[in-house]
Parts: sequence; C-alpha cells; structure tokens
Amino acid sequence: MRFYLLFGVLAVALLVIKGLFLCFVPNRKIPPFLERSFRYIPPAVLAALIAPSVFYAGNPAGLDVSPARLAAGLAAFTVALRTKNILITIATGMILLWVFSFLSA
Amino acid sequence: MADTKREFLRGARNTVPLFLGIAPFAMVVGVAAREAGLDAAQGTFFSLSMIAGTAQLAAVQLYGAGASAAIVLLTAMVVNLRYSMYSLSLHPVLEERSYIERLLAAFLLSDQSFVVSMTELETNPDNPSLPTFLLGSSLAVFVVWVAGIFLGFVLKAIIPAGLSLDFVIPLAFMFLLVPHLGGKDRQTSVLAAIVASVMLVPRLPLQSGLLVSILIGIGSGMAAGEYFGRAGSGGERP
Repeated sequence: MRFYLLFGVLAVALLVIKGLFLCFVPNRKIPPFLERSFRYIPPAVLAALIAPSVFYAGNPAGLDVSPARLAAGLAAFTVALRTKNILITIATGMILLWVFSFLSA
Repeated sequence: MADTKREFLRGARNTVPLFLGIAPFAMVVGVAAREAGLDAAQGTFFSLSMIAGTAQLAAVQLYGAGASAAIVLLTAMVVNLRYSMYSLSLHPVLEERSYIERLLAAFLLSDQSFVVSMTELETNPDNPSLPTFLLGSSLAVFVVWVAGIFLGFVLKAIIPAGLSLDFVIPLAFMFLLVPHLGGKDRQTSVLAAIVASVMLVPRLPLQSGLLVSILIGIGSGMAAGEYFGRAGSGGERP
C-alpha cells in the first residue's frame, strides 16, 4: 500500500511540475537564480547517478571499491565521448566488465 | 482533418531516430523496477502513471533501497525540475488549447518530444498544427518507453544475477551525459557531482546522498558559471 501511495503522490507531483507553466504563466519571470540552475541539472544529476555505481560494487552501492567496474566504466565513457552511440557504449562497458571480473576472479 | 492526421504522423515519424536512445534506457528502468522488488501490478502502475526518465529510475531505486518517502519525492522532483523550463517554452504553442489538452500534453511530455517539437517550431514557426505534431511525438515516445520498461521488467526475471546487468544503468547514463559537457561551468558541475556522490552516497543516512550530491553539483556549476562568465560557458543548449 505504501508503494501506491508514494508513487501516486509522485505521479501527481511530476504532473504539476510538467503542467504548471503550460496552464499558467507566472506574471513575474522565473527568478534568475532558478533559471540559471536549469543548465546544471542534467549534468549534475547524471554524474551523481553514474559515479557511485561505477566506483562501488553492489546495488545499492556499498563501500567495496570495484577496480573492474572502474576500469570498464572509464573505458566505456571514452567510447561514449567518441562514438556518441548508446549501444556501442553499453556493449563496450559490459564486455570489459565481464572480462575484468573473469580475470580478477 | 487529413491535415491533423498528417501532422500527428509527422511528429511521430520525426521521433523515430531517437528510439535508439529511449528503448535501452526504458529497459534499464524496467530492470531497476524489478530489482526494487515491484510486483507486476506495481510495475504496471509505475510505468503508466508517469513518464519521467531519470527521475523515474532514481525514484524506484531509492524506493528499493528503503529510502523514506520524503527523499524519494524530493530527489525525483529536483531531477525533473527541468520540465518546468520545457513547459514555459511550450506555453505559447498550447495557449489556445483547453486545460485538459494542456494537462495531457504535460503528462506525455518527454525530453525527446520536447526537443523534436522545438526543432519543428524553429524550422516551421507558423505551423498551426504544432500541438498535434507534439502529441504525435509524445505518444510515440510514451509507447516505446512503456514497452521498454515492460521488456526490461520481464527479462530481468530470466537473466542470471551473475551478469552484473545493473552496470547497464551507468553506461546508459554516460551516453546521456555526453551532450551536457560543453563549457567549463558544466564540467565543474560534473566533477563536483562525481566527487560528492562517491563520498556521500554510501555514507549519508536515509539515502539522502544522491539528493545532496545533485545539489552540490548544481551549486558548483552555478558558482563556476559566475567565475568563468559567459566566455567559459560554451555549448549553448541548456
């Protein structure tokens, strides 16, 4: 029950965020402070989601530093920068992780 | 009427090239939903009640890790704040439409359909059927998104745990991060978020590490933006 309550509220909250300015335009402009922050939301969010799961093994991330994940992750990131292709990035990262895990086992 | 149908289909068609990025990401969200312990009914509710990309993934992961409701809500809302910027840009397009239609557009809006529709608005500013175009694009994304979540949810039950499939999540995010690396200010934001999240995510109580790290990343980016000025903030897209 807790699940439905929580995700029901979340669904409404997200709809409000998405729909508020479609339905009403604020008479004043968005505070410049908030407007400037938008530029940094995607990079900050993505980096904070990526880093712990590349650094640590386990889900949710524990405190065991994982050299295999770190090496595979860094290599995959280089590939992402070069190719800008999601499938090649995922394939590189997963294959390297399996190889490194196999070698270190 | 024929015109409406054509614009709807054109919106959907212009979105097809982006499916390659949406489908794997959606499957990752499906895998994460299963890992978080959702049953089939919960998974269905989760995938149909919102379309929120990264926020949806963060929410379900935090839920699975036992985070409090406040942390789940706050984190997902901060992650999705960018949509308020999208809807502000789209307001003139939907001004003539009813509130029900605007809410429907808001519900279905995604990063991808926003980008596709803004591109259409730039190349074809006088197109009166842009709302229909947007609907076609948004619905296309929604269908692929929900199908991808379903597929990931089902496949997760079959795939053995030893394959470390959770690693697909950061890999998919690396691809999404690449377009946001323009400018020293955003690079500073990324570096700060990396350092903060590696230090804080495993340590801060109540799973609050992700939220705090995101706020540190945003704050560092804004500070760097001030420091480097406009010259340093290359790469125009927000």
